[in-house]
Amino acid sequence: MSAEGALLDALAHRRILIVSGSGGVGKTTTAAALALRAAVQGRRVLVCTIDPSRRLVTSLGLETLSDRAREMDIRRFDPVAGGRMWAMTLDTKRTFDTLVERHTADAVARRRILDNRFYKQVSSALAGSHEYMAMEKLLDLAADERFDLVVLDTPPTRHALDFLEAPDRMMGFLDASVLRWFLKPYFVAGRLTLKVATRTGAFFLKLADRVLGLQFLQDLSEFFLAFEGMYAGFKERAQQVNEVLRAEDSGFVLVAGPSALTLDEALYFHERLIERGMPFIGFIVNRLHPAATGPGGRGGAPDIDDDLGDRLVEVFKDYSRLAKAEMKNVARLEEETGTVPVLVPELEGDVHDLDGLHEVGDLIFGGARPARRGRTRARSAAAVATRAVAARGAR
Amino acid sequence: MLLDDLLRRRLVILSGKGGVGKSVVGTALALAARDRGKRVLLIEIDTPVSAARFLGANPSLGHAETEVLPGLFMANLDPRTVMDEYVRETARVELIARKILDNPVYSKFFAAAPGLPELMVLGKIMILEEERVGWPRRPRFDLLIVDAPATGHGLSFLKVPLAASNAIPVGPVGHNARRILSLLRDPERTALAVVAVPEEMAVVEAIEFADNAHKELGIETRALILNACHERRFTAAQEMEVLALAAADVPGRLAPGVPAAAALTAARHHIRRRKLTQFYMKRLKKAVDAPIVPLPFLFDERLTKASLQLLADRLEAA
Repeated sequence: MSAEGALLDALAHRRILIVSGSGGVGKTTTAAALALRAAVQGRRVLVCTIDPSRRLVTSLGLETLSDRAREMDIRRFDPVAGGRMWAMTLDTKRTFDTLVERHTADAVARRRILDNRFYKQVSSALAGSHEYMAMEKLLDLAADERFDLVVLDTPPTRHALDFLEAPDRMMGFLDASVLRWFLKPYFVAGRLTLKVATRTGAFFLKLADRVLGLQFLQDLSEFFLAFEGMYAGFKERAQQVNEVLRAEDSGFVLVAGPSALTLDEALYFHERLIERGMPFIGFIVNRLHPAATGPGGRGGAPDIDDDLGDRLVEVFKDYSRLAKAEMKNVARLEEETGTVPVLVPELEGDVHDLDGLHEVGDLIFGGARPARRGRTRARSAAAVATRAVAARGAR
Repeated sequence: MLLDDLLRRRLVILSGKGGVGKSVVGTALALAARDRGKRVLLIEIDTPVSAARFLGANPSLGHAETEVLPGLFMANLDPRTVMDEYVRETARVELIARKILDNPVYSKFFAAAPGLPELMVLGKIMILEEERVGWPRRPRFDLLIVDAPATGHGLSFLKVPLAASNAIPVGPVGHNARRILSLLRDPERTALAVVAVPEEMAVVEAIEFADNAHKELGIETRALILNACHERRFTAAQEMEVLALAAADVPGRLAPGVPAAAALTAARHHIRRRKLTQFYMKRLKKAVDAPIVPLPFLFDERLTKASLQLLADRLEAA
């Protein structure tokens, strides 16, 4: 199946699509464009960003976006009957609160957590909480019957990996040995004392005081105690996330830019995905510069004055150098992964509304490519890029 | 001018959305400061490929400070290693430290505790900033440049000390968090520079970042560095002509191997990007009260020391 075909197939049949890649490659835009395409083709689609910088808001042309799914008006794209699209962003704090509410037995237990000083910081401010809560949200959304397809936009590569690893880290942390340590009675309020049964125990406690501070450990201990009884549930959720990420109807789309650096990161991520046995759908390489080939080039010199001609030649040379380097990088990606990426040319303007997203969809799937008509589809990267760029030029 | 202001401080933190070229800008800034005779340390955080490669040095740069060029040091801080160092220092005795470090609880706790890696890295930066050598005592480095993690996480990176000092009022962790926070907030010691590229999302994020840093952390943005700017290459009249010709499907060649149509497409692309550059420049100017420094888009296939030096010279001239 062609790269575009595999993507279209995923949009039509899968349940969860995770769009990943390093920063600045147009990942959020791509995620939203894919969601819109699936919606126009008749599915009920939600696009969700877990990126705390909330870029999705801009690409959807909205002023605000919350953790409540908000429906977009896609009527102007003439969707297949039943096709609808929603967008939302992850609110770490609120997801955490909901989680606590769901798992606590009564109001007292709930307040004990929500009022905990440590909880307040962890749930809203700290880096790292995002990944856990994204994972929590993903489970919710996977089970939400309002949507046929959930497209998940993720933070840049390094952190997207954190996201993949979050379930394992959570499970490691909830491991009995770690918890037992923090739940030791001498950390618990009112019993904060250095009177520990054994001499080694006392020694390590002193050490812990020096490294982290007993007050800190006590707070932490209370925090963990407040969660007592919820651990089994947490662990089970983490396990479920692992399953969702590996499920047959889930899939990963890796977005990259054409520079050597961003392609390297995509390759790295691809390797990790395969290692973990997670379902990979395909690469999308965005922002290719106009190729140095094209029609024309025959016949005499056009009627352009010398100064302008010289400057044009200079600009052309710069761009063709760039385009050649980019195609070399793409060829390396093909070689190393044995897959053909979808190539998307750099746009001349910015995408910040649904119409723009729809056009990006056309570029990804070649909906508006005159070059394709009546021809065998070219498979080599260079041919695809030339075609895409030529199509863009024609529009 | 810009450098005069930025380099008055000894700690410069670069922040911005992923992919805007923070590490390129950081390296150029380090070169520029080095050209002024400063002893510079460029700090990256847990990056798989170090900016050292731009200068022809080993890209898998380690955790320790390495002199990449005379007077220019780089370090790729690994949070876990920093934490281990901290434990070693506090425990003082290697045998005891080993006992802690080898304990599986320690590893699992560190991997899962939100914010702890960030706090450790910032603590290390503070220690480097405060480090003095020789007699009379002088700073070990004249300038530290920190290539902070991408924005969304960037603000949460800088927010960690505030969160930690709120959550932990007493004890060494809270105490250190407050010391870090006061270093970050001290306009005499620390300068925050936001990096962006002339694109919608990067610019929106840069504005948001500068805003939040001010409101939530009390840290002011001292400079906006707009990377990958498309600078004017045609006169205004020529631009009009190019746009008209590009729409007209011109046959023929401008030079051997240079089809007119392809050259016009490239030129049109350039002109649109140039206009966007100008548009976003204005938008940033309006939204953020800090000097804006444009750096040119580089067409180089591979960034070399020469291209970085070009950017460094631009920073010096700004």
